[in-house]
Amino acid sequence: MKNRRWLIVISYLVMFAMILGACAPKAEPTATDAPPAPEATDVPDAPTDVPAPTAEPVAAEPEPAEITFWHAMSGSRGDVINAIAERFMEANPHIKLTAEYSGSYAETLTKALAATRSGTPPTIVQVYEVGTESMLDSGAIVPVYTLNKGEVDWADVVQPILKYYSKDGELYCMPFNSSTAMVYYNIDMLEAAGIDVGTPPTTWAEIEEYSLKVIEAGLAPGGFSMGWPAWILEQTYAMHDQLFADSDNGRGGLATEVYLNSDFGVKVLTEWQRMADEKVLVYGGREYSANDPFLAAQFPFLIQSTSSLGGILGKATFKVGTTFLPRLDGDYPKGNSVVGGGCLWLMDGTTPAQQAAAWEFFKFINTPAETIAWHKETGYFPATNTAYEQLKAEGWFEEEPNHATAFNQILGGADTPASVGVLLGNFVQIRDIVGAAIEDVVVNGVDPKTALDKATADSNQVLSDYASLLK
Amino acid sequence: MQTRFPNRVMPYLLLAPMVVVVIIFFIFPSVESLQLSFFRVSPLGDRRLFVGFENFIRLFTKPDYLNSLWVTARFSVFVVFVGLATSMVVAVVANQRLRGFSFYRALLIWPYALSPAIAGLVWGLMMNPNFGLGSILLKRLTGIEFNYLTSSTSALLFLGLAATWKMFGYNIVFFLAGLQGLPTELLEAASLDGAGGWIKFWRITFPLLSPTTFFLFVMNTLYSFFECFGLVHITTQGGPGQATNLMVFNLYKDGFIGMDTGFASAQSIILLILVAVLTLLQFRFAGSKVFYQ
Repeated sequence: MKNRRWLIVISYLVMFAMILGACAPKAEPTATDAPPAPEATDVPDAPTDVPAPTAEPVAAEPEPAEITFWHAMSGSRGDVINAIAERFMEANPHIKLTAEYSGSYAETLTKALAATRSGTPPTIVQVYEVGTESMLDSGAIVPVYTLNKGEVDWADVVQPILKYYSKDGELYCMPFNSSTAMVYYNIDMLEAAGIDVGTPPTTWAEIEEYSLKVIEAGLAPGGFSMGWPAWILEQTYAMHDQLFADSDNGRGGLATEVYLNSDFGVKVLTEWQRMADEKVLVYGGREYSANDPFLAAQFPFLIQSTSSLGGILGKATFKVGTTFLPRLDGDYPKGNSVVGGGCLWLMDGTTPAQQAAAWEFFKFINTPAETIAWHKETGYFPATNTAYEQLKAEGWFEEEPNHATAFNQILGGADTPASVGVLLGNFVQIRDIVGAAIEDVVVNGVDPKTALDKATADSNQVLSDYASLLK
Repeated sequence: MQTRFPNRVMPYLLLAPMVVVVIIFFIFPSVESLQLSFFRVSPLGDRRLFVGFENFIRLFTKPDYLNSLWVTARFSVFVVFVGLATSMVVAVVANQRLRGFSFYRALLIWPYALSPAIAGLVWGLMMNPNFGLGSILLKRLTGIEFNYLTSSTSALLFLGLAATWKMFGYNIVFFLAGLQGLPTELLEAASLDGAGGWIKFWRITFPLLSPTTFFLFVMNTLYSFFECFGLVHITTQGGPGQATNLMVFNLYKDGFIGMDTGFASAQSIILLILVAVLTLLQFRFAGSKVFYQ
């Protein structure tokens, strides 16, 4: 009798388990075909029975359209995007814009290409800088320059951003969330260690020196950490005007080899390895996971994307300072930090009405008001000079000097092929290869030259495979 | 005695849904994977190049993939043996008639209610090197630095523990069911003959439990090969370096992040063959030792 009751309990639990398992959140967001009703609710994904606005013909209104916008902005940035979408639909009642979070950058790119392959592309997709070459070669996009009938002055787009997403002088996607990397530091901790924060570090050697002071004073167990280490390595190349790949970083034609195992690359990783051995460099994962220990005062310096600025300033319990990326000692030419972040691509296979609506959206986000709001709420660059001037005029940068750092860094750099940013076929895979190589060096103690030789060979293989498919 | 369906079509109709499901979700994709594994495919899938066995040759000459095989093998052995051993011990203990044990038994099954991704989230937070309660306690109590982000050994051990814990409940449910089904006469007879708990366990319980153990052996092997993807994806992402790059995660990276469909298809074929062979071997060797009452 008792046994039987016991079995019943088990079967209930198993059923409970299965139900829970089925309810567990999936990485993939459910694609809702139902467009949201802009005025009915502020929940962006709520399905609705409200018919398309074709029911109310307005003579002067342009053709109604429904467009989808796939993005990779989770958390607070996703909320900002939803707010933009709502403002846009208020201003353009004939357009229904569905903004959908479609996973990480890599997942968003994969999904967009898969959807295109099956004939149901999203109208607009946000692709990170690494996906640029793949998008250019995909043949699945409509370049934004073809849409511009003189309404938008591209010259107003901040130069390094414009250059990054241009090919042969034409802009291919709509700049949206551009960022670069910079150094964040914990002012309180540095002051406690007796360091003059009026002169923040400018070189790797100074970062190391200050870190050691902090560690010796027992203020923190480590010195610095990095977000997106493979990207920071690319940034370091560009900062010292070193080419990362042939054909002028892939800007003058398809790149066929990377210069990872160059003397410069080996030197950087040797430095990193040495600092990791000294416990100055604290390895912090491949994306944003280094932010948490920085906020928990585990180390005084963090090298991270500017897009984390909003989050870090909001959460830090100490005073945060920011400064330019460090340079290596030695006689290296001046370069620049590279633009990262994302760009909005218009997909082919969409209807002319959708493309027109997408262009309306692009123009909308390019207005100074939207550009400024986006910058203030996230820390991404204000992408146009007009917006930048307005921000300056209203005294924003004096009020929030940390928001000016990255901008001053990128505008103060040299304009050389090596500092425009790398374009590589299947860059996503190469990023991963480089990321693993860096981990092997700083975590697993592999010899830098050995790790980079292997990463170079693997990356070159990726490039030649990529090229073989374009013929 | 055989019963006959009154209708000749009926059996086929009843079988049809399953056959359709198997064809759509198993046969068809497998055939397509097999075909794709001989091609190099562009990210958009619109251009493909026949490359013969190149994908397979590259896989087996690539140190990263060989490493992935080795990592998977160690992970799998850990999950299967440690998982089965601990859950069997716990099941035997939980099977005793003690006050309040029905409550504990119910609790033991809970981890199974979680998907691997959630298990990863829980363990990732608990063992977070900076603010995880688990890692801080471990350091305070034993001085051991457990950092799954920066230590290859910690990372693999961490994954193994999380994966084992997640499967714990499942194993215990089956072991308990198996234990409940054991004939009590044998154990009582042994007690009368003066056999102690240890001898009773090894001579009677363990052999009689072998069908359950064998079933769980196969299930845990499949689990460690295929289902731990979510765990890796949430926590270590295959790192540091290649230390936790399980085969199934490597496949995901190449296929869905790198968009190298041909290469990933070749890996899926290898995974399929490997698991098929392993399961056959298990049935062949372990299966023959199983004692069915």
